[in-house]
Amino acid sequence: MRLLVGKLATASALFLCSDLILAAGAIEGAPVRQEVNPIAIGMFLLFVAFTLYVTWWASKATKTSSTFYNAGGQITGAQNGLAIAGDFMSAASFLGITGLMYVGGFDGLILSLGAFGAWPVFMFLFAKRVRNLGNFTFIDVISQRLDRDPIRLVTAFSTILIVIMYLIAQMVGAGTLIQLLFGLPYEWALLLVSGLVLAYVAFGGMLATTWVQIIKAGLLLLGVTLIAALLLANSEFSFSNLLAKATANHPNGEGILRAGSIFDDPVQILTIQVSMLFGTVGLPHILMRLFTVPDMRQAKLSAYYASLFIGYFYIALLVMGFGSIAYVVGNPEFFNEQGKLIGGSNMAAIHVATAMGGDILTGFMSAVCFATILAVVAGLTLSGAAAISHDVYAEVLKKGKPNPKTELRLTRISVLLIGFAAVALGIAFQHENIAFIATIPMVVSASVTFPILFLSLFWPGFTTRGALYGAGVGLVSSIVLIVLGPQVWVSVMGNAEALFPYDYPALFTMPASVLVMVIISRGDRSERGGIDRENYFRLLVRSEFGRSATETAES
Amino acid sequence: MTDANIEAVHRKTRQRLLFTGIHLVLYFSFTLNWTSWGEGLGGYLGETRLTGSLMMFVVLVFTFILLETIFLVLSRREAR
Repeated sequence: MRLLVGKLATASALFLCSDLILAAGAIEGAPVRQEVNPIAIGMFLLFVAFTLYVTWWASKATKTSSTFYNAGGQITGAQNGLAIAGDFMSAASFLGITGLMYVGGFDGLILSLGAFGAWPVFMFLFAKRVRNLGNFTFIDVISQRLDRDPIRLVTAFSTILIVIMYLIAQMVGAGTLIQLLFGLPYEWALLLVSGLVLAYVAFGGMLATTWVQIIKAGLLLLGVTLIAALLLANSEFSFSNLLAKATANHPNGEGILRAGSIFDDPVQILTIQVSMLFGTVGLPHILMRLFTVPDMRQAKLSAYYASLFIGYFYIALLVMGFGSIAYVVGNPEFFNEQGKLIGGSNMAAIHVATAMGGDILTGFMSAVCFATILAVVAGLTLSGAAAISHDVYAEVLKKGKPNPKTELRLTRISVLLIGFAAVALGIAFQHENIAFIATIPMVVSASVTFPILFLSLFWPGFTTRGALYGAGVGLVSSIVLIVLGPQVWVSVMGNAEALFPYDYPALFTMPASVLVMVIISRGDRSERGGIDRENYFRLLVRSEFGRSATETAES
Repeated sequence: MTDANIEAVHRKTRQRLLFTGIHLVLYFSFTLNWTSWGEGLGGYLGETRLTGSLMMFVVLVFTFILLETIFLVLSRREAR
């Protein structure tokens, strides 16, 4: 068992999306080449076999581009909520947040709250209006209000950038995990992951992707529930007892129960909160899920159920995080000869599973981690393919009147291209420091996607010109400040001190983007600007009450 | 579009922004834990090992869900 854990350690470090966790010194020691866990392999193969069966079933229903993009709009609110949770609750959440809590206790919760806090905003602001105005992607929503060709190209570009950056982070980690589990060469491991995801997406489209995410979410929630319940059972069902045991074990003692073990700068906390909340709300593959339900009511319910599942998940991680301190620290089974935690703190979640449930629970959670990566990569691939085939080809190049068969064929070709690109980039970045790559999607999403979507839905004065200039400022400032920040300027380029002190610059880039959008829009006296302003009122009732209400009002 | 429809949309917009505003104030209040204003949150609750900071996390999660529930209920009532 210790052997598997050691191998998983390196892999888990690579696919963590949170550079904060890496920055916290989570990765310790060299990877150890070790034997495989047959339980983990068996459970993983069972998951693959079942999801491939679901894909075969879904492929029979996926005959048009409409069903490919949105599963025919027939997913219920509860199912979609679970799928959204499956899309969002990544391996980074499970392994990374538990690991950060293992290192610093309470401070790790900033990532939990940051990730969870996005969902109410998603529901209040976007769920209903985006569903009512769009068809397949959030870009459909914006392009009804603003000049369709330039705004589609800009937002499709930001979508593809977000998807590619996310994919690199996921693929590098996924490839390493599979490589370690099956003893396959890294390149073959990437091909295996990519092949599975291509099978899900290319043949089953959104319907198969949805069910893969639902199954994975169910397994992950079951896993964290089991571990949390066992931890509490071992503490006489008292969370206070668990905390007492944790403080007795941790070098920081009672300091782990309050803020300050890892972070000491409130501005740094704000940068994380802004990036995580507004970045999550603007993620294209999450927004795309709103179109898989039949109506606006189910869209709202989707967001609500997603909140319930994700909130429950982070409460369970609260128990797991402190449980890892209580039951892993001081247990010689989990430490090497140098006294370091085997695999570093990112493995704390797997170690606590071992401590509570032995090989069976460890194997189960390992398999769930792989399933998690497959589900997230499938959602990303679908979103990227829709941006290329629907937003660029069908809507810009063919002016909204594509040949349906050609569009569906192009969608599948796009899926294949993204799959090949993911493999190539995964190989190219195998030995690189990828922490900054994982930061880009959240910051770009918060600084480009969120402002455009929010202002186009809620501000009558918003114009295309303002959107384009603001998006440019948001994109460029995000990239520049990430390069000047600690992750690239210090960690990658080797400079002694960063020119910009924060890892996540969205606290500054998002307001800059919004400010430029507002100033340019206010000064826009063009004919197109007038059309954009009129479009707001034209779409207003439909955005709130749906297409049928507009048709009734206009008849 | 009738004036009643437009007024209903404006009312819903105000409601959306109000709920978002309340949520954001609560959400960013978590930063207090890392400031001198939030020092009191580090204290224990009674005889337990639960600190105010930990309680704040749990209460915020449940409050966010409660806010969403209220929003959903209000939306349903208006729809009727």
